[in-house]
Amino acid sequence: MNSIVMKQDASTAIRELLAYLLSSSRVDAVLTMRQVPETGSCDLGLITDPSGMVEAEPFLPVMTANAGQALSSISMSGKRIAAVLKPCELRGFTERVKREQGSFDNLLTISSICGGVFPLEKVISGDLEKLVPRYIEKTARAEAPRGLRETCKACEEFVPMNADISVSVTEHGSLMHLHSDRAEEYTEGFEGERIEARADQSHIDRMMKSRSAAKGKLFQSLEKSSGLDGLVDLFGKCVGCHGCSRVCPICYCQHCDFESINFDYNQPYFQESLEARGALRLPPDTILFQLGRLTHMSFSCVGCGMCSDVCPVSIPVAGIFKKTGERTAGLFDYVPGRDSEEPIPVMVFKEEELGDIG
Amino acid sequence: MAAVLPVGSDLSGAMNRFLKTILEKDIVDAVLMPMKVPSGDSFAWIIMSDSSIVDDAEAMAPVMPVQGARALRSLTRKGEGSIRVLALMRPCEIRAAIELSKLGQVKTENLILAAYDCPGAVPMDSFVSDPSSGEDLFRKMLAGEDVSAGEVKPSCTSCVEFSMTDADLHFGHFGLGGTEVLLIPGSPKGMEILEALELPADRETSIWDEAVRKRREKQVASRDAAFEETGENIRGVQGMLNVFADCISCRNCRAACPICYCRLCHFESETAKQDPNSRLDSAVTRGGISLPADRMLFHTGRMTHMSLSCVSCGQCSDACPADIPVAQVFSFVADRTQKAFEYSAGRNDGDPLPLRSFMKSELSGIHEMVSDAEPGGHAHE
Repeated sequence: MNSIVMKQDASTAIRELLAYLLSSSRVDAVLTMRQVPETGSCDLGLITDPSGMVEAEPFLPVMTANAGQALSSISMSGKRIAAVLKPCELRGFTERVKREQGSFDNLLTISSICGGVFPLEKVISGDLEKLVPRYIEKTARAEAPRGLRETCKACEEFVPMNADISVSVTEHGSLMHLHSDRAEEYTEGFEGERIEARADQSHIDRMMKSRSAAKGKLFQSLEKSSGLDGLVDLFGKCVGCHGCSRVCPICYCQHCDFESINFDYNQPYFQESLEARGALRLPPDTILFQLGRLTHMSFSCVGCGMCSDVCPVSIPVAGIFKKTGERTAGLFDYVPGRDSEEPIPVMVFKEEELGDIG
Repeated sequence: MAAVLPVGSDLSGAMNRFLKTILEKDIVDAVLMPMKVPSGDSFAWIIMSDSSIVDDAEAMAPVMPVQGARALRSLTRKGEGSIRVLALMRPCEIRAAIELSKLGQVKTENLILAAYDCPGAVPMDSFVSDPSSGEDLFRKMLAGEDVSAGEVKPSCTSCVEFSMTDADLHFGHFGLGGTEVLLIPGSPKGMEILEALELPADRETSIWDEAVRKRREKQVASRDAAFEETGENIRGVQGMLNVFADCISCRNCRAACPICYCRLCHFESETAKQDPNSRLDSAVTRGGISLPADRMLFHTGRMTHMSLSCVSCGQCSDACPADIPVAQVFSFVADRTQKAFEYSAGRNDGDPLPLRSFMKSELSGIHEMVSDAEPGGHAHE
């Protein structure tokens, strides 16, 4: 595969590439993580002025919003955009494109072999300054940095699945791999030695080993949540803010069914419930919301971990959804975000399937 | 004047017994009160008609996971029930319920709203990480012991409406040494309950009055200090931008807010969606924009929509994953917007919602207010 050798660190090189794409008018805008130097505050920036690139931190191990969600609507503007996305953000975006919530038509996607991100609370508490240098060291050696999101520690999909450009960083240097004609075309004229190379497989294998072990542990820890009692134990403290669904890259509904009039109950319902059970939780449907959301989106869950990050009562939402998602998607041999042409299982009719579900 | 409820050893337990009694005697058909969740690290609102279930409930919970007015909204949004329900809640929850009733989202006809002297609540994040310490802390708060301000929800440390509200029945316990609770009727509905129990309201309340007055003095001072600090922090556009810099647009604040009842928030609706092309255009004009877009617009918009009814319960801050002092800002602004209309959110005194009442002449001083809010702080000539 045609690859570009990066002379400087990956962030600097990609920042230069993005500036090059803007100043050569190959793209109209760039989507990347930014960090304001004075305050340390992070956000996703949609940048059009090359001089704005100084604040870009394309590989900052932070996810303030799943960029796949943020990119969704602006990708349909018809303008050319280069977007730096973490693999799960790209997969989330791909799932949205399948739901007609985005378009790859004018998009150059840049992703990287991902070391994971830190939970929002660590970002807010101002620990990044200490954490990031250590993170860069560790990930270059294929080691797992401490303190990452639980789902990042356990993520086995850390290699970008369908990016135009992917970046790999090891102790031996950094490479920009060009996966598509669009990548070749856009990087034409960008300085840097071209070589034939792939991402270092032994590096990936070492990462995978620790990820798989962490995933085993995470899923094991959630075993206690099986059955109705387990669900009540896990979700009993849910405050019903539905923040998990709002930050979810898959939950794109403008008006969630569970917030609609369908879930307002009239008085006979309450009276009958009280007569039958003697007591009822208010607002009702705490577990139903979680189960409903699982039914609606779990087979497309990309395990990005945004839901856990915003949960005000620290429910391990992401772990539960990822675990369930792998099972539901697995039933259909489906991998969310793998291929934008692969249809969503619930949108495909087969005369015979799931024969053994009973 | 008030009736007296003897306490014995356990304040919350005595209130539980009272609620159990009114259920057993069919004075009400159901009570709504908090109960610990099975995992033991939070509480939930449970409406119960079976009096034996009251034994497992907790009249005063250390935390406020869901604002009680939201529970009442889910119960009565679609109309008045035929069953009589007594809801025991914190004063800010009762106040929010009264605001929601003015907004047509809570029907109070068959509700008996009961409140108690509230010592504040433990923030949710610290409670879920260590429930038993949280419960110890709350016991201290109830006993009137000093706890450090950082351990309590910030909006509770500057709450001045912690006691008598316009509830139908109030449980007063401040200053009584934990030996008895005063049952203070606030309406004919509350009076009827006492009468049905044959509890005469014949006790004068001066000791309790004095304890509440003293506490209020302290709380007012702490609120004034908090307002001063917040006022400085949010001064001018830059101040607001700094305070909300870490907002990720999850809108948990809106979802946790008892007043924000809209099923589909304007800011999540089609109307508020900007066309992707004009979004790109504004990026080009400014060299770049921050995504998710319009975060500041959301907060100022929400403020415009609900600050007149804000009861300063602090749920927004509690739900914020980015630790933004949302409640302090909203409380500060609400104090001013409500003053501008001589309105006090949560009062049941017949005052209509300011935005729903037309006056030929009002807000003549708005120019001064606007220029006062600008950096520099003085009215322009």
